[in-house]
Amino acid sequence: MGTLMVIDQPPYGIWAGREALDMAFSLAAFDQPVSILFTGAGVNWLRTYQDTREINQKSVEKNLSAAPIFGVEAMYACARACTQYGLGPENMVDGVVLAENSSELIRQHSHTAFAG
Amino acid sequence: MAANPIHSYTLVITGAPYSTQAPQTALSFARAAIAAGHTVDRVFLYGDGVHLASSLCAPPSDETHWPTEWSIFLTDNGIPGVACIASALRRGLVNESERKRYELSASNLLKPFIIAGLGEWVEGNMASSRTLYFHAGG
Repeated sequence: MGTLMVIDQPPYGIWAGREALDMAFSLAAFDQPVSILFTGAGVNWLRTYQDTREINQKSVEKNLSAAPIFGVEAMYACARACTQYGLGPENMVDGVVLAENSSELIRQHSHTAFAG
Repeated sequence: MAANPIHSYTLVITGAPYSTQAPQTALSFARAAIAAGHTVDRVFLYGDGVHLASSLCAPPSDETHWPTEWSIFLTDNGIPGVACIASALRRGLVNESERKRYELSASNLLKPFIIAGLGEWVEGNMASSRTLYFHAGG
């Protein structure tokens, strides 16, 4: 049940992922059950020690760390995308559940949404 | 044969007019849905979709004026059109009260659109039987 927000865009270079995160936080703020699935290039959101000084952007790490505070129920990462982008336990933020089967995850939720 | 169930829809448009087909596709869908007896609870503009609510679009005269088309459709059918405030302010879409608040030189929100928060989208999710998204694609 609940909404699965899908973030499939990288954290920098495009705004859609940030707007998806705002949607997830908004649902949670209104006590609607919501989880987030990071897939494709979106798994790069989960990388630790993002140094964004040279691209003059705010790091998304702080935004993302607010997810449990807002009440986002779970954060999932597509296992295949993590392998593709070289993300493992050593360089991924805590509290992320690896999803071997994203389509099964989508079936478990009543709504699925992308920001664009 | 069982009758098709009647649905109420919240439509979310995230693609801008003239750079994507999202507002056009969404309008075709909305017209078809109403013609088939369904209802559209509200239309929520998010991200680049807020450009649809600008009163300052001036496309060439041989192209469809999508903001005007949407404005007429919403007015004729009494459907609320809501532009997300965070998306709108970032992209230069403001109503009169935001113009005053930020001391800007002009306001450009097309009637009957209003500016409000993501709570309108959340409420649409809860109130409608379906929420459909019209993205840029690609």
